[in-house]
Amino acid sequence: MKALQFERNVSRFAASRVASVLVGSGKGVRVGPLELVELEELEMPGPNWVRVRPRLAGVCGSDLSTLDGRSSRYFDHIVSFPFVPGHEVVGDVEGGTLDGRRAVVEPVLGCQARGIEPECPACAAGRKGSCERIAFGHLRPGLQTGYCRDTGGGWSTGLVAHDSQLHAVPDDFSDEAAVMVEPAACAVHAAFASDITGGERVMVLGSGTLGLCVIAAMRALCLPGALVAVAKHPNQRKLAHDLGADQVVKPGEHKRAARRLSGSLALESGDGSIERLTGGVDLIVDCVGTSASLEQCLEVVRPGGRIVLVGMPGLVRLDLAPLWQREIELRGAYAYGSEDRPEGPRSTFQLAFELVREARLERLVSARYPLERYEDAIAHAAAAGRRGAVKIVFDMRKGGSGPDAPNATAGRADTAGTTKEAM
Amino acid sequence: MWHGEGFRLERLPVGTRIVYGPEALDPLADPDRAIRHALENPLGDSQPLRTLLFPGMRLTIAFDDISLPLPPMRPPDSRQRVIETVLDLAAEAGVDDVVLIAALALHRRMTDPELRHALGDRVFEAFAPHGLLLQHDAEDSSNLVHLGLTDQGEDVEINRRAAESDLLVYVNINLVPMDGGHKSVATGLASYRSLKHHHNVRSMLNSRSFMDIHRSELHHSNWRMGRLIAESGVKIFQIETTLNTNTFPDQLAFLQKREWEWSLRDRASFLATSSALERTPIGISRKIFHSVRAPHEMTSVQAGAVEAVHEVTLANIYRQQLVEVSGQADVLTMGLPYIGPYNVNSTMNPILVACLGLGYFFNLYRGKPLVREGGVLIMSHPTQWEFNPVHHPSYIDFFEQVLAETTDMFEIEAKYEESYATDPWYVHLYRTSYAYHGVHPLYMWYWCAHALQHLGRVIVVGGDRAAVRRMGFSPASTLADALELAEDVVGRDPTITHLHVPSLLFAEVT
Amino acid sequence: MTRRVRGAASLGRDGLHFVAEKPTRPGGLVAPLPKRKLGIDYDTAWARRYPVRLARAVVLDDITRPVARLVLSPRVIGLEHLDPVKGPMILAANHASHLDTGLLLSSLPAGLRHHTIVAAAADYFFDRHWKAAFWSFGLGAIPMERSKVNRRSADLAASLINDGWSLIIFPEGGRTTDGWGREFKGGASYLAKRCGVPVIPVHIRGTRAVLAKSSSRFRPGSTEIRLGDALIALEHEDARKFAARIERAVAALADEAESDWWSARRRAAAGTTPPFRGPQVSAWRREWALPDSARKDQRAPHERKRQPWSRDD
Repeated sequence: MKALQFERNVSRFAASRVASVLVGSGKGVRVGPLELVELEELEMPGPNWVRVRPRLAGVCGSDLSTLDGRSSRYFDHIVSFPFVPGHEVVGDVEGGTLDGRRAVVEPVLGCQARGIEPECPACAAGRKGSCERIAFGHLRPGLQTGYCRDTGGGWSTGLVAHDSQLHAVPDDFSDEAAVMVEPAACAVHAAFASDITGGERVMVLGSGTLGLCVIAAMRALCLPGALVAVAKHPNQRKLAHDLGADQVVKPGEHKRAARRLSGSLALESGDGSIERLTGGVDLIVDCVGTSASLEQCLEVVRPGGRIVLVGMPGLVRLDLAPLWQREIELRGAYAYGSEDRPEGPRSTFQLAFELVREARLERLVSARYPLERYEDAIAHAAAAGRRGAVKIVFDMRKGGSGPDAPNATAGRADTAGTTKEAM
Repeated sequence: MWHGEGFRLERLPVGTRIVYGPEALDPLADPDRAIRHALENPLGDSQPLRTLLFPGMRLTIAFDDISLPLPPMRPPDSRQRVIETVLDLAAEAGVDDVVLIAALALHRRMTDPELRHALGDRVFEAFAPHGLLLQHDAEDSSNLVHLGLTDQGEDVEINRRAAESDLLVYVNINLVPMDGGHKSVATGLASYRSLKHHHNVRSMLNSRSFMDIHRSELHHSNWRMGRLIAESGVKIFQIETTLNTNTFPDQLAFLQKREWEWSLRDRASFLATSSALERTPIGISRKIFHSVRAPHEMTSVQAGAVEAVHEVTLANIYRQQLVEVSGQADVLTMGLPYIGPYNVNSTMNPILVACLGLGYFFNLYRGKPLVREGGVLIMSHPTQWEFNPVHHPSYIDFFEQVLAETTDMFEIEAKYEESYATDPWYVHLYRTSYAYHGVHPLYMWYWCAHALQHLGRVIVVGGDRAAVRRMGFSPASTLADALELAEDVVGRDPTITHLHVPSLLFAEVT
Repeated sequence: MTRRVRGAASLGRDGLHFVAEKPTRPGGLVAPLPKRKLGIDYDTAWARRYPVRLARAVVLDDITRPVARLVLSPRVIGLEHLDPVKGPMILAANHASHLDTGLLLSSLPAGLRHHTIVAAAADYFFDRHWKAAFWSFGLGAIPMERSKVNRRSADLAASLINDGWSLIIFPEGGRTTDGWGREFKGGASYLAKRCGVPVIPVHIRGTRAVLAKSSSRFRPGSTEIRLGDALIALEHEDARKFAARIERAVAALADEAESDWWSARRRAAAGTTPPFRGPQVSAWRREWALPDSARKDQRAPHERKRQPWSRDD
């Protein structure tokens, strides 16, 4: 089968890192350690494993970070090289209970998938994302499908998955809708991690795929008092509005918007621009994950407020004095598992299916690429906002191997490079 | 045609009527003598100022703030002359308790150099170091006194020091017919609670125009309030001055002349100046323009009872500015300069552009507007999407948040006015920094009410497209394009009037 | 194997630390505070030794005087009043600016100015070592208390005067804050009586407009120094009454500076000289009544700095 494989090759890593810094994110892929190869079909790591033929597989911000060599060294022990990336997958199942049907893969590899008995407390409670036996069991280390040598990943024509990882796709779901379920699940989990009781003033920083899904999730599942989105690009702004943000502002104006929203006073710098607020919003969700974005969060969240970090961060330098002085809570939100609902615990993925249907998140899929054109795909994903796109996916379906024009509902066409990419 | 910090020379279609201001009158030969004469021979039911001063009294002198005159005068400013004369009399009479107050209403505080410019060094040094030169603080509840309600139920609440003085002397510069009269004290020294009775959409719609005090609801309200103030026992000695329209120094003299009168020197001067300005970075050209000191001078000064004084003042203004125009046009065009009352030494943001064109200039009429109902107004200004964060902080939020949602005035008034007026941060900046009050941008928007109701379309030539659209107007790159856009509304071959306003004028339209 | 005890020589690098660091005192012992002679106790005798005097004379003549002429454009009136005085004298002047002393010294004739000391406020000019040294050298200053003259400084001043030094002193005790004069204290009159020397009243006009108290604005301008008739203390006149007389003399000079000599003389004779301390009314009226030269900024509006591109008048 064909697959994009990520090799552990130090010099190519470095080259990719350098390239991403010099030329821009995603451009490092040309010289980096990602290659399209022909591989033998994977062996089943154990009983209850099935083969899945991916139809669509998304490109995520964490994938981009990994490719740019920017992801944290923290992950070194919980990925195994070489691996095939791609954890946002919808595919056809071969064998097992869902044989012949389409399914979405829940990529987190918990105790069940690893064949660990008894399960750790987290997995027993359904919170696979918090598995305490990660990197053990009969699989090589890999926190998710898409980072593990033994499972393969979505950016290929074949991967293997444990029964517990598969979720059947309803017949009325398009492939595009299905591929959005995994990001939507992250968003749902983040929305609940925010612990909104009702009426809070919320700001969402970053309106890429994750940010937009978070907006939709919050609007649908929580009861925020006011929801302000910070979006850089025009099509992101439009989508943010459509998905339920009360107000959308540009990155430079978030302080002002937060001030107005919360009626707070501010500390100004000499030229009249605001440095930080003395009050602030109740909750801010950081879907970017850089030093700069976290600093911005600290500037506008109120004393005693909460920052939920959803975007995968790298190594971040941060002045924690405001965190300490204002008793701010900084909480990470990773992946998904099970959420406590009034009606009882429910799988995040199931809630994600509902969210995708309700908010029509399939419109966020902006472009499809065949595996062969992976360089263009990665470049497009890295510059998605600027080019008017949101989610880029690999398309492994028959007849779907040509690149498509950007999905009309996802926003305007590219400004630069339109003719090249749209053909 | 003015175009912000620069000029454009436009070709107007044949048949366009251009309305120019009258020639500048000669100023008073000896203004100081005229001032002394006015103080000694007051108008209306009033005594000479000299006799109203006695030792041990509390005297307060209030004066117009930085929004007047435009552009700022060459020193000595009219206020300086008048106040120095008043203080000479006060010193002679042995008055110790004197306080000066800048009548800001909800405008921004004046900086020390600006106060020095308006009052002169002598007055500044005598009062500022001792804390006797105050700026009206409409949010200082301990320094406000509620005098009662008019017969229309309007709150009258003004500065306490002014109200509780034995004599309140008001020193005014009447640039346009809107200024002066009872408005000086009833607005200049009032609080938000008072102001909202006439600074609202309904009043603006019923002021046709707000430059014509007899047909202006804004002024009817102020007059009611002014009379109540007088009845409450506040003794006001009003001193009003007027200026001629010799607005521009020699280098820019061509702006004041009619284009066909331009001599060789003027044409060369125009070309040199406008091309130089095009090449100058905006920050520098802004600085250059805001440093212009106009050579306009006093043409009249009168003192005494408010209403009697104001009648004579208006007569003097008409003498200088009144132009008779017969008939309205389908299209009205105008070039907007870099300065308005609310951006002296500052940036003209898009809201102020709208206010200058649709508020002030549109309303420079008596009788009927220069453009017919349903007609088109074309304004020329770069309308940069730029705000001064120190002077106009609430404007930024208003433009970003409120106008993005709606431009409908009634909706804005109902939904947003309260929060903008009471936001503690804006109040803090108004009181301690140099910021206009939080509610001020809304007022600027209301100022356009009459025009927006009257006009069929508003087109801005050469403006930032996004900013223009945000306000609900139509952008055009050139005047020709604008006229084409206008034809959609008024039909082909419209009649056009161009308002040539480097120098101010007041049109009597029949 | 016995070990040798480490000697000082083998401290090596530690040796440097040893020398550099002060020893810690055992707890319970309080270190005595070092005595520094500053303020009123500062000893200025070194500044009157010949080589130092010579250097000061050079600085005064070749630096201070030309600079004063450039920046202050001084006009000196009444130098003839110095002629009849043989021996040292006390010059009592009004005080408006830090520039007064330098200006006055520069304006005196050579013989006198090289042999003059200046009484300077001990708390301001002598509070730091470098300041004390600077002023002693540059102006020949001696420290003096502002209000009540300290016994020691009085003795020092008297002995210096008796040695032939003339003294410049500002009886107000400090610079004026609002432009009007302050009450003349008794220091000058006391010393004049004690040493039996005459007092020359001096009025300095225009320095406040150049550099006022509590202001950093410095605007070169023109100044005038007026010297008056020498005053000798009368037998029965105590220091306080004499001080008042000196004040009146300076006020008369001020009057002359603002009007003309003859009107000033007549008013002095009639006792209607405008009071030195100004009208005793509210602050704004005092400011209002100031003569132009005593204002902080005496330039007329039309002299204001204009932009280079403006051509208007």
